[in-house]
Amino acid sequence: MSMTLYHGEPNGPSFTVLAALFEKGLDASLVHIDLAQGRRHALPCSLQPEVAMSVEGEGPVLLVDGEGMTDSVFIACYLDDVGPGSALRPSDAYARWETMTWCRQLIERTAPAAAYLGCRAHAPQPDPAMLPKIGSVDLRARWDDAAVGTGADDKLADSRTKITQAVDKIEARLDGREWLMREFSIADLESYAWLAGMVHVVPSAFAGKSRTASWLKRIEARPAVRRALSLARGPAAANCWAPGPEINRWG
Amino acid sequence: MGGVTLYHWEPNANSGKPMLALMEKGVAFDSHYLDLLNFDQHKPEYLAINPQGTIPAMLHGERVLTESTAIMEYIDEAFPGPRLMPDDPRDRWRVRWWMKFMDQWLAPSFSMIGWSVFIGPAVRSKDPEELKAAIERIPLPERRIAWRKAIYGLFGEEEMKESQRRVAVGIRMLEEALGKRQWLATDRYSLADVNGFNLAFALPLSQPKLSNDEVTPNILRWLRAIYARPATKACWALGRTALAKRVAILEQPHIGKEHVA
Repeated sequence: MSMTLYHGEPNGPSFTVLAALFEKGLDASLVHIDLAQGRRHALPCSLQPEVAMSVEGEGPVLLVDGEGMTDSVFIACYLDDVGPGSALRPSDAYARWETMTWCRQLIERTAPAAAYLGCRAHAPQPDPAMLPKIGSVDLRARWDDAAVGTGADDKLADSRTKITQAVDKIEARLDGREWLMREFSIADLESYAWLAGMVHVVPSAFAGKSRTASWLKRIEARPAVRRALSLARGPAAANCWAPGPEINRWG
Repeated sequence: MGGVTLYHWEPNANSGKPMLALMEKGVAFDSHYLDLLNFDQHKPEYLAINPQGTIPAMLHGERVLTESTAIMEYIDEAFPGPRLMPDDPRDRWRVRWWMKFMDQWLAPSFSMIGWSVFIGPAVRSKDPEELKAAIERIPLPERRIAWRKAIYGLFGEEEMKESQRRVAVGIRMLEEALGKRQWLATDRYSLADVNGFNLAFALPLSQPKLSNDEVTPNILRWLRAIYARPATKACWALGRTALAKRVAILEQPHIGKEHVA
């Protein structure tokens, strides 16, 4: 089985997948693509429904036997299943439910807020040739929205609130434990992925959160994470954003 | 570990997912029906179990589980019985991809239409003061907005149009996927099918122009195959309203374009 990972800068979903790959000791051909230019839409697999319609928006693509796999948490679960390294999910069914629920709430509430704020603070620069190739009408609308550069006040305020709530939740969760699920897991990777870039965008959310600050450093000290972060092309990977998952339309 | 209690509404959407998964696994459970239209899910006795006031919630012994799709994965792992997740890791990825796509992209659009034509009108006749108080008791702000829109008919033309667009796109994607495989995400019945049936079981009734035996033969084949399973029959028998009874449309051997009113 040969794998090719098309990834962007090690931030957001690309971070999760790169770090999971290295944590598990797996080999893949690594191909850097500029997600912030919309380069994912030039990939041969870009029109496969699971790539074109990924809820995650502009994330990495793992190509296995011609099939493009998207959505970072689920790619990480796949890598966890096939790789020889230490498990990235607990073995107990209830703890696994906790892990998946944690990630679900993160990708539904925190990730859209982080991508929205990230794109306003560090606007992506789409290649005009890529935009017509975008298969998802609503993802295309998020690109158009990001290009304007300003955000609706209510969405900006709501997104800052969601980042603050996520950090509060992490701070509370880390009381008496090193990692979010006790053992290091995909929940740590995915939480770091969306929040590391928010430290400078929403500094108030992190103020006085000493447990969260130590946890961020603990993650960065892991060899697999250092290797993922070393793949950055630019000086500040955490400032690289592309349109992500959409903010809930309703309910 | 102790017994299983499931707090649920109709076999439909999020409530129906763990109901059907439990039935498929052959796990006995205490069924605790909450009347969504009577706001049972926001009453103190239920908020003591799930403070977010969302349905469903499952008790397994002392443990409380929420989030219907994650509950389904737990049910599959924690109990014996037929496996509802495939053995192949890439197939498992595909099951999760489709469940997320339905949960977060397609279902909210179906749901907006459903709340607009079913839920809103069903509760609108209640006492206005009682409704106001009921809305104020909802713990999650986004659910408060959703209920307010449904009750007072505040859905905008643009958002309804966008929901209808997504429903049409989603139906095309389901039809295409089911043209490639026997089941939605793999060649074996899985949680993706349990999830999808809860979303789509009444599709030929709710979207008759977009889904019938002539334009979406694969979707209809798939829905009938799931409806034929004993677990599905047992699960939908727990329904108490007209919502669940709509599943009977699948007993018709052919649902053609002439079905369109």
